[in-house]
Amino acid sequence: MTIWWLILILSCIAAGGAAFIYVAVRLSRAAPQKKTLDDLQDNAERDVEHIFNDEFREELRNRGRLHFEKILGENAMFLQQDLRLTTSQLNDYMKDQISKDLKEAFANYESAISDAKQLAVESIEKTKATIDEQRQMLTAQLEQEVSEEKARRIQRFDENMADVVNHYVLAAIGNQIDLNDQLEYILSELEANKKAILEDVVNGA
Amino acid sequence: MAHEARKDGSHLELPVLIFGPVEIHRLQRELEALEEYLEQTAIREPGKQAPLPRTSRLLEALAGNNRFNLLVADERQELATFLKQIDHQAPVIHISFAADPSSAFMAKIVAWFRTNIHPYALVQLGLQPTIAAGCIVRTSNKSFDFSLRHHFYDHRQLLLEALGGASPQPAQGAVTVTGRQT
Repeated sequence: MTIWWLILILSCIAAGGAAFIYVAVRLSRAAPQKKTLDDLQDNAERDVEHIFNDEFREELRNRGRLHFEKILGENAMFLQQDLRLTTSQLNDYMKDQISKDLKEAFANYESAISDAKQLAVESIEKTKATIDEQRQMLTAQLEQEVSEEKARRIQRFDENMADVVNHYVLAAIGNQIDLNDQLEYILSELEANKKAILEDVVNGA
Repeated sequence: MAHEARKDGSHLELPVLIFGPVEIHRLQRELEALEEYLEQTAIREPGKQAPLPRTSRLLEALAGNNRFNLLVADERQELATFLKQIDHQAPVIHISFAADPSSAFMAKIVAWFRTNIHPYALVQLGLQPTIAAGCIVRTSNKSFDFSLRHHFYDHRQLLLEALGGASPQPAQGAVTVTGRQT
C-alpha cells in the first residue's frame, strides 16, 4: 500500500513539472502575427524574462527541490511508518495464524493422544482384567493341585507308615534282633496258621 | 533190620539236619560217589584200594537214624531211592528270615514242620533283611507273612491314631487296615 502511495505522489510531482515546462515552452514559442501583438509579446516576454529570470528560476528550482525533498521525506516517513505498521500487522497476523495453526495442531494432537491414551487405558484394563482372571484361575488350580498333592502325599505316607516304622526299626535295632529270641514268636505264628499251611501243602502236593 | 518192610521208604526217618533240597542233592551226590568208590574197590587188586572216603555228618545221621549200613549195596540203593523219592515228592516250604539262622534254630523250625505239617517236609531258606524280624513262609500256593513289617502294617491304625493324637489335625486319607495277605 505505501509503495503505491509513494509512486502516486511521485507521479503527481512529475506531471506538475511537465505541465509547467510545457506552458513555459508554449508561451515562448507563440509568435505574434502582428506587431502590436509582437510588441506586447515582446514586452510580455521581457516582463516574463524580467520576472522569471534565472535567479527566480533558480529560486523556484530550489524551492521545488526542497519541497520535493520534503515531500519525499514525509512520504518516506509515512512509508516507513506504513512499513512498520504493516510489518507489525504482518507479525501479528503471522503470530495469530501460527498460533491458530499450532493450537489446531495441538488440539488435534491432544485429541489423538487422548484417544490413544483412552485406547491404551482400555487395553490395559482389559489386559489387567484378563490377567486377574487368569491369576485367579491359576491360583484356584494351584491351590487345588497343592491340596490334592498334599492329600496324596499324606495318603502315601499313611499307606507307607508301616514301611517307615519298619525301616526305622531296622536301621535302629536291626542288627540287635536275635533270631533265637524270635523262635517262640515264629513258632506261635506257625502254630496259629498250621491249618492253612497243612491244607496248602496237602492240596498243593 | 526189616528191609522188606521199608521198600517204599515211607517209614524212613529224615533227620532234621537235612533241611531242604540242597542237602538232599548233596546227599545224593555223596551216595553216588560212595557207590562209585565201592565199585572201583571191588575191581581193584586186594591191598591196593584207595582209602575209604569220609562220609559227611548228614549222611551218617541219615544212615544212623535209619540203621543203614552204607557198605551194603542194597541199603545204599534203598537210601538212594529214598532220597530220590524225597527229592521228587516231598513238599518244599520256603521260609525267609532277616538274618542267616543258625543250624540249631533251623533244626527247631524243620522239626516243627516235620512234626506238624509233613514228616518229609523240606525247608528252603531265604534271606530278606527288610523284614527286620520274624519270617515269611511260602508254600506252593500261599504266602504267610509273619514279619515285623507286616505286623506294623496290620497295626497301622494304632500308629496313625498315635500320630493323630500327637498332631493338632488328624491325617487325611487314612487307609483302613486290610487283612493279612495270603
